[in-house]
Amino acid sequence: MTKLKKLFRYENVGMLFVLPAFLYMLIFVGYPIIHNIILSFQDVNAGNLVKGTRNFILFDNYLELFKDSVFTSSLWNTLRFTVSCLVFQFVVGFALALFFSQRFSFAKPVRGILLVPWMIPITVTALMFKLLFATDIGIINFILRSLHLIEKNIEWLTTPGTAMFALICANVWIGIPFNMILISTGLTTIPKELYESASIDGAGKVQTFWKITLPLLKPTIESVLILGFIYTFKVYDLVYVMTSGGPVNSTHMLSTYSYKLSFEMFKYSKGSAVANVLLVILLFVGVFYIKATTEEETD
Amino acid sequence: MNEEKRLSTKKNILFSAAAVALLCILLFPLYWALITSLKTEQEIFQNPPTFYPHILNTKSYAAQVETGDFNMFRSFANSFLISMGATLIAVLLAVPASYGIAKYRFKARKILLLSFLVTQMLPVSVLLTPMFIMFKNMHVYNTWVAAVLADATIGIPFSVLILKNYFASIPKDLEEAAYLDGCNKFSAFVRILIPIAKPGVMVCAIFSFLYAWGDLAYGMTFILDQEKRPITAGIFNFMGQYGTKWSYLTAFAVVTIIPVALIFIFMQKYIVSGMTSGAVKG
Amino acid sequence: MKKRKITAVLTALAVTAGIMTGCGSGGGKGAAADNAPAADKAPAAQESAGEENSGETASSGEAQAVTIWYYWENEGHQVTLDQLIQEYNGSQDQYEVNAKYVPFADFKKQLSIGASADELPDIAILDSPDHASYVAMGIFEDLTGKFDVSNYYEGTVNSCTVDGKLYGVPFGANCLALYYNEDMLNGAGCSVPATWDELKETAKALTTDSVTGLAFCSVQNEEGTFNFAPWLWSTGATSYDINNENGIRALAFIQGLIDEGVMSKECINWTQGDVMNQFIAGNAAMMVNGPWQIPTMQSEAPDLNWKVTLIPRDKEYASVLGGENYAVINGGNVDGALDFLTYATSEEKVKFMMNQFGYISADKTIAESQFAADSPYYPFVEELNYAMPRGPLAEWPSVSDAISLAFNQVITGTATPENAAAQAQATIDGIVK
Repeated sequence: MTKLKKLFRYENVGMLFVLPAFLYMLIFVGYPIIHNIILSFQDVNAGNLVKGTRNFILFDNYLELFKDSVFTSSLWNTLRFTVSCLVFQFVVGFALALFFSQRFSFAKPVRGILLVPWMIPITVTALMFKLLFATDIGIINFILRSLHLIEKNIEWLTTPGTAMFALICANVWIGIPFNMILISTGLTTIPKELYESASIDGAGKVQTFWKITLPLLKPTIESVLILGFIYTFKVYDLVYVMTSGGPVNSTHMLSTYSYKLSFEMFKYSKGSAVANVLLVILLFVGVFYIKATTEEETD
Repeated sequence: MNEEKRLSTKKNILFSAAAVALLCILLFPLYWALITSLKTEQEIFQNPPTFYPHILNTKSYAAQVETGDFNMFRSFANSFLISMGATLIAVLLAVPASYGIAKYRFKARKILLLSFLVTQMLPVSVLLTPMFIMFKNMHVYNTWVAAVLADATIGIPFSVLILKNYFASIPKDLEEAAYLDGCNKFSAFVRILIPIAKPGVMVCAIFSFLYAWGDLAYGMTFILDQEKRPITAGIFNFMGQYGTKWSYLTAFAVVTIIPVALIFIFMQKYIVSGMTSGAVKG
Repeated sequence: MKKRKITAVLTALAVTAGIMTGCGSGGGKGAAADNAPAADKAPAAQESAGEENSGETASSGEAQAVTIWYYWENEGHQVTLDQLIQEYNGSQDQYEVNAKYVPFADFKKQLSIGASADELPDIAILDSPDHASYVAMGIFEDLTGKFDVSNYYEGTVNSCTVDGKLYGVPFGANCLALYYNEDMLNGAGCSVPATWDELKETAKALTTDSVTGLAFCSVQNEEGTFNFAPWLWSTGATSYDINNENGIRALAFIQGLIDEGVMSKECINWTQGDVMNQFIAGNAAMMVNGPWQIPTMQSEAPDLNWKVTLIPRDKEYASVLGGENYAVINGGNVDGALDFLTYATSEEKVKFMMNQFGYISADKTIAESQFAADSPYYPFVEELNYAMPRGPLAEWPSVSDAISLAFNQVITGTATPENAAAQAQATIDGIVK
């Protein structure tokens, strides 16, 4: 009984620790989220942004969206982009984290320097990759030509398929250090004794990886992937600077399309609706994540 | 024990060489930005491209310091101030929150965790208008405080989600030992858990700082005066309707990157040692 | 350093505390009162608050603030505007004008958000095709009868007129014309093209391994629409009526330029500034661009031998009218704004501004005597006679979007001219009708 009582007090203390951060987020992001949901059910455009009545048209904005081919392709693009980026940056980031966990002389300094791509503001990265992928002056075409892999310059950013590829490359470049550092930190939480006893038991490297490293890294991996998904799914700056959604809307993402509707075409409510679709999709991912992580904890 | 684990000399050289090769490949875009910034506009458009500037052009750097309203050093200081502020808020609020979530089994736990995630699920563009109105009413519009408050909203949820794994991986025994030594919950948290979770806290601080450093939308929208804006806003001075000058843009990129990179490379001794001397090494 | 950090934390905490007590109940005012210490520590906050107050209540002897938003990132433009403002501020002591640079890419957003939050400047200098949208928003002051624009180019006045009321004053005009590299033209033995066929032949003759014949900005946004409009209108098609023989011919012509390799597909990623860089680097033999590039071209490539001529025609010469308008925000310091505008639109000041900017005056009389016949600007004055405005229409951004999508589809080969035209027409019909 006293144990139960203690547990109850324990709970309250836990809440107190979380409360300040929660309130902060509630105020600064909670209100905007509600504001945005309301806006998406109205018909706000240039004509009634400041004056005039805002009518509630409920789901009309959403229904209209699903008839809008730019929206449906943005949705598909966002998914395609996110999944491709996650796969590449996770695999490479993981491999690098393992590589740098070896104790060779340059491991620490080089790993430190490799974080630099992550430090760069995304807008700057986007500019650099725009320069690299330029058709005539771009170094990538020059290298490919010099290696005789291509004869004619590839028009990376002006052809629908390759533009997406260029965006993915740029984002993976940013994402590799992100994955690497988080997995590296995760690796440090694995007790060394486990590896030692495994090697005493005669386990090979591959076996150790699958049997020890991977299971123990599970919470880290889940965090990395889910956070990666959320941050990649709402990619904005990178696309805005590199392609602005072009050519012919082939690289529009939900976020860039939402921005375009709101602030370039003055269709504020429709822009909000697009953002909410993004929110709902991520909500599913989030619920899945919470379920997965809290279940294993209660085990 | 360390001696045992050290690699053979041959392997050491091989691995180090591979690491350097990797470094060169991954950092090539930066090298390219650097040399582009030192070329003249004509040379940038030359075909085939030159791999080092044939005519050294430093005009683009001079312009960073003295173009119109935009002042590189001032913007840099602004960015630093804003990022530090956002990092402090993020760490101060996120460390206890993640501890609470990791170590206490209260009912609202899942909901709280999800709500932190939810805050990251909207694109920045739709947050701007309501946040703007809020900051205006708080009388912090057009000050760096607005950017600090907004930037912290990126760092907090991120830090909570990362740090919670950290705290969760710390064995209960440690904490219980602290209680036996006469610590209460708060002093156990401060005296035992925070020092142990230091690497995690470091990583969170770094990420929060960098999110704030890279932010463009908040700084641009909530700060109108050029002299108060963060460095990222400078990108628009060189990019826009009337011309994309690659030498200027890349010079801007280099100036934005180098100081931060230096800070981190200088500090990496602490970061990396924090990272590798894991909490639970025993 | 340390002290600064501590101040930062304190301020942040004070503000956070303020919000938690005040803003949670939904009222921002409460929060403001609560966080007085925060305001103390953030001098910037006070400064801007002070500015606001002095704008609304004119205390005797203190100049009222008049704020201008503009988007020119061109340093020359910024310096010139600043000079005008300094002269104005020195000429009287009732008003104190200050200008704030808001990047072009951010301008619409900042005005939209500012309108929602009631945080706008007193004067905006904005891109003329967007004018009608903001009039629809109801944020601009009616200036009918306050400025004499009878002598202005009709197109420029139309761009700020809605329902017969004047909601702005044209700042200056510009339009697009054809630049050509004279040495390249002579080298290939070509004469200056005047028709589409001649243009295509000339471009072909000028195209080599490292040089493309023609370049113009084809980005999928307003800037691209601006550059496509002359081709579209030259056929007799209008912005609202594209799905016909004329509109399709314009699209097919652009497609032909790309297919025959005389224009680079990269144009869809090139801003007008990029196009100019291509031209002065000798990578493009001809380009369509505006007069505002001339000062930069003269300083960056003084040895380049280039000339300007009318954009070659299909049925008739056509160009597109560009430039900015001044608009006065209602609810701001209207008197101060009007006083400044009266000053800035005087003949002497207009002449000074236009020459420094590389713009043409929107005032016909000034424009006609602005340049000598051998000036590189002169062809633009001639071209201006054929220049038409985009819109004015509150929904212009949506129409423009449909048009820019159409020529981008054609350039990237993702749609035939016929399909692109039909698709654009369907979108436009949904907006205009």
